[in-house]
Amino acid sequence: MCGFEYDEAIGAPDEGLAAGTRWAEVPEDWFCPQCGAEKADFAMVAVG
Amino acid sequence: MPIAAELAQTIVDPRAYAAGDPVDEAFRRIRAETPLAQAEPEGMEPFWVVSRHADIMTVERQPDLFHNGDKSTFLTMKENDGMVRFITGGEPNLIRSLVSLDGQEHKDLRAVVFPSMTPRAVKPMEDSIRAIAREFVAQMLERAPECDFASDVAFLYPLRVIMTVLGVPQEDEPFMLRLTQELFSSGDPELNRAKKEVNPAEALMLLKQTMEDLEAYFGAVTERFRANPTQHINSLIANAMIGGEYLNRRQMMGYYIIAATAGHDTTSNTTAGAMWALAERPHLLAELKADPAKIGAFVEESIRWTVPVKHFMRSATQDCEVAGQKIGAGDWMMLAYQSANRDEAVFEDPFAFRIDREPNRQIAFGYGAHVCLGQHLARLEMRVLWEELLPHLKSVELAGTPSRTISNFVCGPKHVPIRFSVN
Repeated sequence: MCGFEYDEAIGAPDEGLAAGTRWAEVPEDWFCPQCGAEKADFAMVAVG
Repeated sequence: MPIAAELAQTIVDPRAYAAGDPVDEAFRRIRAETPLAQAEPEGMEPFWVVSRHADIMTVERQPDLFHNGDKSTFLTMKENDGMVRFITGGEPNLIRSLVSLDGQEHKDLRAVVFPSMTPRAVKPMEDSIRAIAREFVAQMLERAPECDFASDVAFLYPLRVIMTVLGVPQEDEPFMLRLTQELFSSGDPELNRAKKEVNPAEALMLLKQTMEDLEAYFGAVTERFRANPTQHINSLIANAMIGGEYLNRRQMMGYYIIAATAGHDTTSNTTAGAMWALAERPHLLAELKADPAKIGAFVEESIRWTVPVKHFMRSATQDCEVAGQKIGAGDWMMLAYQSANRDEAVFEDPFAFRIDREPNRQIAFGYGAHVCLGQHLARLEMRVLWEELLPHLKSVELAGTPSRTISNFVCGPKHVPIRFSVN
């Protein structure tokens, strides 16, 4: 919704998600730190 | 090739926004002929007009490259820049709010309120918001068969909701409404502080007085909430600490002001815009009554349709390139949300009000690090209002010609006279 990209290689260290944390391992109640969108609202996109 | 002079004048003209069609036509031509080019309207610094949806997303996803606060975040006349910097001690924006901040300061300040505005945080508010919606619906139904939906409902319901969330007492709502209108509608003689036409320099002086009234009010609010903290947003602002210190006066006032004004004016405009669209489309009322699950899509399309915030400005922090155009360091840029929400490359039939757009990629809330903090609350309160109101409406039609605010910034319907029948 806001364009925030969760990159598994980077993780989200500020949120307690170490670099390398797979998306499947991110807790279901995690939400976008930029706009609050729920994990379920994210779409998988190919990058690079 | 720069944008043609008459188009450049139209897209900054508050009266053209009030009329609606002239701005839509100007942006249609700009998207077709010069989708990312410079405009230099009379009396303004030149700026790039970012007219396409994709290009606005490109700019907004790079907040370190394109700043909000290095230059004015809103269209202003060149002649006012010096006075604003004199009043603020060198800053380009009269009010130091989230929309005019960058970098770590922006992140730190946004984090004060963000946790209270996530979908998960606003969901528990639904019941109390529904009770407020029922109150306003009941008042409206008593006015049958006619009312001005804008001034009787749309301006008041979002105001009550945000003031409840902020912790502002009900008796202060008329004051908040009036000062919001003064802040956002300085060019509209019906709504501005002077209640008459004013020139740009006079408008600035009036804005300064409005800001001083707001600051006096919020000074008292700070004292009250530091003495007795609560979970209300104004209390979070009053008690926020960054690096072990309270927010400074400019930061605190900027936060209170944006929460108290942007927190309802935009939703009010969209709600009024939605009713205007509904009143012109009887088949749509029937469809929504038959299937209330479509109300979410109706809300989203009403946001795409109304585009309450017409633009924000950015400035480039270094030489760069966007859509093949070379942008210079310091160049001012207009993100034209009105244009993006009619972009033919993104929306089929962009000038049709359609609730079957799936997905609806409307961008009125912005994108990236500055995406609207209140978007989830806005969607919730609008959905709830229509859920409560529509089952009562047998029919609705316009009872006169709606009019819009005279403004190139926050602009939407000011009067929506309707005739309606109740089930």
